[in-house]
Amino acid sequence: MTDQEIVEQINISIAKEFELDQDTLTPETTLFEDMGLDSLDIVDLVIVLEAAFSFKIREEEAIRKIQTLGDIHTFVINKKREQENKA
Amino acid sequence: MKYDFVVIGAGVSGLTSALLLAKSGYHVAIVEKSDQISPLLRGFTRKGVHFDTGFHYTGGLGPGEPLDIIFRYLGLSDHLTTFHFSEQGFDIFRSIKDGFEFQFPTGYELIREKLVAGFPDEAKAVDTYLQMVRTVCASMPYLNIDIDFNETSLLQGLDDRTLQETLDALTANKHLKALLSMHCVLYGVPPGEVSFSQHACIVGNYYQSAMGIRGGGLSLAKAFDVRLKDLGIDVYCGSMVSEILLSPEGAVSGVKLANGTELACSGCMSTIHPVTMLDLLPEETFRSAYSNRLRDLKETLSAYMIYAVSDRAIPFLAGSNLFVFPDVDDLSNMGVRPLEQNLLYLTAAYKGTESEPMGFIGISPASFEQTAAWKNSTTGRRPDDYRVFKDDVITRLKCHIDSYCPELRGTMTYTEASTPLSVRDYNNTPLGGLYGIKHMVGQRNPFPVTKVKGLFLAGQAIVSPGIMGAALSAFISCGNILGHDRLRKELRACS
Repeated sequence: MTDQEIVEQINISIAKEFELDQDTLTPETTLFEDMGLDSLDIVDLVIVLEAAFSFKIREEEAIRKIQTLGDIHTFVINKKREQENKA
Repeated sequence: MKYDFVVIGAGVSGLTSALLLAKSGYHVAIVEKSDQISPLLRGFTRKGVHFDTGFHYTGGLGPGEPLDIIFRYLGLSDHLTTFHFSEQGFDIFRSIKDGFEFQFPTGYELIREKLVAGFPDEAKAVDTYLQMVRTVCASMPYLNIDIDFNETSLLQGLDDRTLQETLDALTANKHLKALLSMHCVLYGVPPGEVSFSQHACIVGNYYQSAMGIRGGGLSLAKAFDVRLKDLGIDVYCGSMVSEILLSPEGAVSGVKLANGTELACSGCMSTIHPVTMLDLLPEETFRSAYSNRLRDLKETLSAYMIYAVSDRAIPFLAGSNLFVFPDVDDLSNMGVRPLEQNLLYLTAAYKGTESEPMGFIGISPASFEQTAAWKNSTTGRRPDDYRVFKDDVITRLKCHIDSYCPELRGTMTYTEASTPLSVRDYNNTPLGGLYGIKHMVGQRNPFPVTKVKGLFLAGQAIVSPGIMGAALSAFISCGNILGHDRLRKELRACS
């Protein structure tokens, strides 16, 4: 997957599962203010990403630092690259 | 009639929640679809012998231990007579393949002593393992009421290792590993799936002490009955909640029963299966991410169970349960093996409050798939071919028991059985999970708090299974309403 494909996949999954308009999603979109998520939603977000990219997320610290959709893009791209390097 | 809280489901988590809320002065109702509260705890009686279905024994009920403190706080203890399982061997481990047998004791010191005597080269592994279990238990706010309360991490378990990974890192001794993971039968998740911390929270209580209640789960159900009356809790039995009602702002405003009655309330504690709870709310209540997450949760193992009446006493099971393992090597695919190659758990059944067992219960893990052909049938109305199947299960279980438990040979004068279908219908778990939804590494179970104002969750799915897990889930959920510090302070006063 290219970085662009990963970003698109993330946006599609998040828009669908959190019932958001995909056109409004940009890397600057904030999770808590713009997307209206709260701490209860973070686990749902982790599960959506795991299902979309077939990996398991165990890095609690990295997830806690996520503030924007762009942070999610970077997190998943890094994780995918890590996975490819291991393979 | 307007209630502060309506509790859905009168199992241990629902009953505990109702008592906690009422003790704090809230006006509480509890709704249960069966004719009496806590049907699973009550079990049933055949030929004068009482068979427990929801409670066999528990850890942590010794004087001053977590469940003892909880029972005293709830006012249940005065109505219960408890007894200790054998300190030298509350659970007997028996491996068929190589004849290995071990009597698992209670008390950390005795456990260490017996394990090191049995495995002299493994003293370091034994010490490390027991210390790890103690550390986990000591860090849990309701298992250790003396520590500071930290809001449990919302991402708990993300970096957790499985029990299997943990044991593999400690020792290569397969017998020792089998002994330290045998109790996975008590929560229905294989060692390769359960997190070490979840395992530790459960077994740590049994390592302290293993106790039974005279008269079994029925005595506990009766104790709850008394306390519900004492605290003026309205009980609606034989009633099913068909809808959780929401205000225009989306907060809980009441529940509607199947007979049309509406109970107005400002809070609702749902202790039923989380997926069943979803069906009580309008579809758009939760975002798909949450609904899908709940629908994807995997259940614990199901089981075949045999209930045997004996014409003579069975002292062998008076203070010990027997765990028969076909082979110590592999506990990973417990649910899918043929019955004859599967493990078997045996526990005593008594006449009333007598102390000599006059029967026993045998439980063998199984998967719902094995009975899926009859999934559209209901209790009491199963087709003839199911009865043939069930008779075959009884014959095979009896044969299995005769082969590997010579102590019980010839004792079975009357038998009955249940299958994963019965478990589904009595446990109200869609796939017959013996312990509801499982707690495993990589699966994120729901939190007690939901996005709906006034709607809280408790039950096995939330914290852990068993009487202790269900009671703890009520404390953890109600702590969000009543304040954890206050609840824990009041518990400390009972310790």
